[in-house]
Amino acid sequence: MTAQARARAIGGPLLDRPMLWLLALFAVAEAVIVFRFIDGIGAVSNMNDGYAWGIWEPVNVVVFTGIGAGAYSVGLLCYLLNRGHYHPLVRPAVLLAAIAYSLGGASIVVALGRPWNMYLLAAPPLWNLSSVLLEVAVCVIAYVCVLWIEMLPAVLDDAARSPERARAAWGQRWGRRLARAMPWIIALAMLLPTMHQSSLGGLMIVAGPKLHPLWHTSLLPLLALVSCLSMGLGAVVVLTALMKHTWSARLDGLLLADMSRVNGLLLVLFAVVRLADIAWSGKLGLLLVPDFHLAFFVLELALFLIPAFLFLSRRVRQNRARIAGALAVVAGCSLWRIDAFLTCYDAGEGWSYWPSAGELAVTVGMAALGVAVFILVSRLLPVVELQEPVVSTSVPAAVAAFVLSGPAEAAQGQEAPRVTAGPGAAATRPAEGAGAPG
Amino acid sequence: MRVSRRLLLKGAVAAGAAAVLPERARARERVEPEAGAVGMLYDSTRCVGCGGCAAACKESNGQPWDDPRELSSTTRSVVKTRRLGRPAADGAVTALVKRQCMHCVDPSCVSVCVLGALHKEGRGKRDMGGERRGTGIVLYDKDLCLGCRYCQIACAFAIPRFEWREAFPLISKCELCRHRADPAQEGPRAVANPACAQVCPAGALQYGWRADLLVEARRRQAAEPGRYQERIFGEKEGGGTQVLYLAAAGVSFADLGFPELPEGSYAHASETVSHAPYLNGLAPIGLYAAAAYLVRRNRKEQEGEPSHEEEKP
Ligand code: SF4
Ligand code: SF4
Ligand code: SF4
Repeated sequence: MTAQARARAIGGPLLDRPMLWLLALFAVAEAVIVFRFIDGIGAVSNMNDGYAWGIWEPVNVVVFTGIGAGAYSVGLLCYLLNRGHYHPLVRPAVLLAAIAYSLGGASIVVALGRPWNMYLLAAPPLWNLSSVLLEVAVCVIAYVCVLWIEMLPAVLDDAARSPERARAAWGQRWGRRLARAMPWIIALAMLLPTMHQSSLGGLMIVAGPKLHPLWHTSLLPLLALVSCLSMGLGAVVVLTALMKHTWSARLDGLLLADMSRVNGLLLVLFAVVRLADIAWSGKLGLLLVPDFHLAFFVLELALFLIPAFLFLSRRVRQNRARIAGALAVVAGCSLWRIDAFLTCYDAGEGWSYWPSAGELAVTVGMAALGVAVFILVSRLLPVVELQEPVVSTSVPAAVAAFVLSGPAEAAQGQEAPRVTAGPGAAATRPAEGAGAPG
Repeated sequence: MRVSRRLLLKGAVAAGAAAVLPERARARERVEPEAGAVGMLYDSTRCVGCGGCAAACKESNGQPWDDPRELSSTTRSVVKTRRLGRPAADGAVTALVKRQCMHCVDPSCVSVCVLGALHKEGRGKRDMGGERRGTGIVLYDKDLCLGCRYCQIACAFAIPRFEWREAFPLISKCELCRHRADPAQEGPRAVANPACAQVCPAGALQYGWRADLLVEARRRQAAEPGRYQERIFGEKEGGGTQVLYLAAAGVSFADLGFPELPEGSYAHASETVSHAPYLNGLAPIGLYAAAAYLVRRNRKEQEGEPSHEEEKP
């Protein structure tokens, strides 16, 4: 099939300067993590009995996996709705997802107080099936495995093209075998995110009185599911644009327009469901209370509806606007998630929270590791589809440069803030509100 | 080819149905207080604030006395003096309240606990030793705890505490002094024996069967009209609790630091919404089968399209 046939390993230096910077960021996170395992979570974080999840759960797990939902939404379009022309996007999206979900999973292990008991998750008789978190945990673990299996064809493709005859034959043989099994695996890759992405939203239903009523609704699972589709599509658009800039990856304008239109409808669906639910449950009065909750609510809505307008308007034809819109979508969905888990969660009187440097270092370091792994894998394996002829293998990982160069410079490159808009900006945002309720 | 609206709609409906169905599907059963439920009755009007209960609590749990103001990983019970929003019926501007785990009838912490580390006695995933069914005491089994702290997020009363500065941390909360139970005795003391209730010099704290305690609370209200406010906190709030509270007339439970809770439990709400779409496991199986069918069909079609070469993933 064309897509994978033209996907190529980018090549280029593995350890260039941006890569070293990324790894340095991760090293800082690693140091914090080591300290955390020696001296307890309280030693490196400001988490407390009121704000027991700090930013690690809302950002590292809920937002990272939202960004990783690109594989889910692109997969849905490509395989279930039979849009074959989405194929070129599948592999990069799956790689992004595999990395984001793995990092989310790794962050859970860091955040768990008693992670050594995790082996018990392998014993279904012990499962508390009432627990939404159990569903999330089991489902995410399974999905991480599925995602890396979905990456195997890239490895086998690479082998199949090897000049060594034995390796090539091996790659072809297993490539064919895997191709036969693939539909069953892809179907799992469609089912699992439907389950755990909705459950991620469902996590906060039980928090009841602690969550602000504008966010607390029994439709949280539905909203989380729709928002992950939007967020995933947005992340893939931003990723594609980034790859075009740094590696001259192919960017199919029509595809971008198509995807943006889908996203526009999803965004409208989200906004309509949310507003209708608020009206239906008689919470409209809350929209007249001018406090920071309302400010966040309006900001979220703007980040949903402005891109929706951009995407659905016939007059906006430039890809530039679409990419900016996609960034806004990722930011908006991240914000909604962080608000529902942290900013608009009120632990009660006497509690306050602001993330510590150590917490932020772990979040940033995990994100940096994600970028590093993406670059590394793209350099080594056929993931990204390049323009013909191959223009750039020497362009260093500008992605990384953007991450490191701060928001001012990042703003110049339309696409750059993907990473900052996700974990980076997200990391600072919960803080703004989290202090206030306590 | 563009994605048509119709296709999108289908996708949205399929995805949405999974999460919307809860309204339709039958709700998870409401949990009623168990027949053998034990509990405590705390009478704020009788409490003199001596702190004897808090001291006894520390002693019975092997924790050093440190004059606690707030629950913590080394404090399972605390007596607080609360400033009232407006003066009580008798003109008092403060009121006393003892805080501890409420031993909810349908506890959020039990509902969310991944492997059932927090569980109702005798109804956990495994027996910690000598557990009796039906007492309703919420126990903690550290060997099943992941330290995820979902219990802290979920508990509306903000009770469970975590050992933040430990490499091998535990969750800590009142377990109704089950370890002090005296099997030689008859009645509720064979089940548990709260040290706090035993030492209270003012008769503000009473341990017993929950049903008896409710009767006693109503008797007190009837015996001294005007002394108490009419609500017995924990009778219905949040699905009911096994530790019950009486407050003075004119003192609201919000003033005492309790959250405003609906009659149903949040555990019930959450489980209903999260379980219903699964239709007892049928939904995932059906979705998987449908997805597998569509993926296979579409992939064949896509491979067959003239513009695409042989698929070699
Ligand atoms: S029952 Fe025991 S653990 Fe609970 S508050 Fe009383 S003394 Fe403390
Ligand atoms: S008060 Fe909190 S910790 Fe105690 S049983 Fe209820 S939900 Fe659990
Ligand atoms: S921290 Fe432990 S006790 Fe609390 S919900 Fe998680 S596993 Fe259960």
